[in-house]
Amino acid sequence: MFAGFDFDVIERSLPYLFREGMVFTVTLTALAMTGGIVFGTGLAMMRLATGVSLAPLVWLAGAYVNLMRALPLVLVIFWFYFLVPWIGGWLIGARQTIQVGAFWSAVITFTMFEAAYYCEIMRAGIQSVSRGQQSAGYALGLNYWRTMGHVVLPQAFRNMLPVLLTQTVILFQDTSLVYVISATDFLGAAAKVANRDHRLVEMYLFAALVYLVVSYVASRTVGRLQARLAVIR
Amino acid sequence: MISIRGLSKWYGAFQVLADCSTEVAKGEVVVVCGPSGSGKSTLIKCVNGLEPFEKGEILVDGISVGSPKTDLPKLRSRVGMVFQHFELFPHMTVTQNLTLAQVKVLGRTPAAAHEKAMALLDRVGLRAHADKFPGNLSGGQQQRVAIARALCMDPIAMLFDEPTSALDPEMINEVLDVMVELAQEGMTMMVVTHEMGFARRVAHRVIFMDEGKIVEDAPKEEFFGTPRSERAQQFLAKILHH
Ligand SMILES: Nc1ncnc2c1ncn2[C@@H]1O[C@H](COP(=O)(O)OP(=O)(O)O)[C@@H](O)[C@H]1O
Ligand SMILES: [Mg+2]
Repeated sequence: MFAGFDFDVIERSLPYLFREGMVFTVTLTALAMTGGIVFGTGLAMMRLATGVSLAPLVWLAGAYVNLMRALPLVLVIFWFYFLVPWIGGWLIGARQTIQVGAFWSAVITFTMFEAAYYCEIMRAGIQSVSRGQQSAGYALGLNYWRTMGHVVLPQAFRNMLPVLLTQTVILFQDTSLVYVISATDFLGAAAKVANRDHRLVEMYLFAALVYLVVSYVASRTVGRLQARLAVIR
Repeated sequence: MISIRGLSKWYGAFQVLADCSTEVAKGEVVVVCGPSGSGKSTLIKCVNGLEPFEKGEILVDGISVGSPKTDLPKLRSRVGMVFQHFELFPHMTVTQNLTLAQVKVLGRTPAAAHEKAMALLDRVGLRAHADKFPGNLSGGQQQRVAIARALCMDPIAMLFDEPTSALDPEMINEVLDVMVELAQEGMTMMVVTHEMGFARRVAHRVIFMDEGKIVEDAPKEEFFGTPRSERAQQFLAKILHH
């Protein structure tokens, strides 16, 4: 069935696909994951805050998460890319727009968007740590931040590691949506070669295979990490 | 050392503590007992500010626990607490459990904290387990580590909330022995427990609670001799004859 297919095109374009495309995809994924988990954990802590004086924080974080989860990612990427130059310019009071570039625009967008999902994971994670652990931290004289930082979050993170990594695999796949701002990620690079050489089927087959392999390897790693980091109870 | 005056607390419309008052002098050991749900844990958690309360006053070493101006973390660092379910940090080794607050709260150097931790592990007979994780220890061992962790902070008083009730019977004594020794050394202690043997040996006073009220607050001899309230008599009869 592959008669008439030209698989050489893949070999010829490998350096371009990986050095340009895959580097972009992986860097974007890594940065958005790190930023998303940090920002998401902050949102989770806000959502779980108690006390009347902190109610606005709870509301704000909840509204943010629900808004992000209600919007299609493609739209957020698109609008953010075109709006940020204006917003940025307006924020610093400059007359001209701020140029961010497709890469950094994507990093910020994915970080903000994924934070909403990481937030819900970390919220479940924090709730999975018994209240007694928090009490024990407080009873030793640790304040809120230290109790979270040394006692609750490390356990929440370990408990949620498989889900966090699964979300990261989804993020890895979603980064291909940067085509709407014409950024050259792995899929974008493959698409360019495909169009240039009129080898659509070969290139898209190959791209699918690469995404499949990376995602599969990542899922396997999740399982292994889980076994190694599991807390003994 | 600890004085509780007219303490009342509500969970919504439900009153958990009703006008509780008592004093624990320096070096005194007070045992708190009473049926499940009578408010013993809540009372003891109010003492180090783990639970807020609506009415009354608690003074620990002259510092008001309920006052918004009080530095609660600092106050808590001076009052040790031991929980029913140990609450050791499962992701840290025994040594890390013992040194964390010493370094972060008291500002001790890691070396000084480590030395202190080893001395206290020696004391509870668990030095050999210093590098293990809590999950690899028995319940009795975990509770002894928890006591050592509290003692690392050089507390002025110790609070115990049913420290032996989650333990298998054969492990209860190893924990009680540590507590008895502590009491005999003159530590100020407030102990929620149903171990009446412990109370008879080292308690100075026994408090009996029922439905959020302190029903009986008497010297040990008096309490075990002739408790005044019928509820306390019934309760004693029940737990002493099983
Ligand atoms: N967070 C809470 N919210 C509502 N009710 C509670 C809460 N904690 C405890 N209670 C209730 O307060 C009462 C006293 O609880 P507790 O102090 O734990 O009793 P004890 O330690 O004597 O068994 C119980 O009836 C319990 O159900
Ligand atoms: Mg209790």
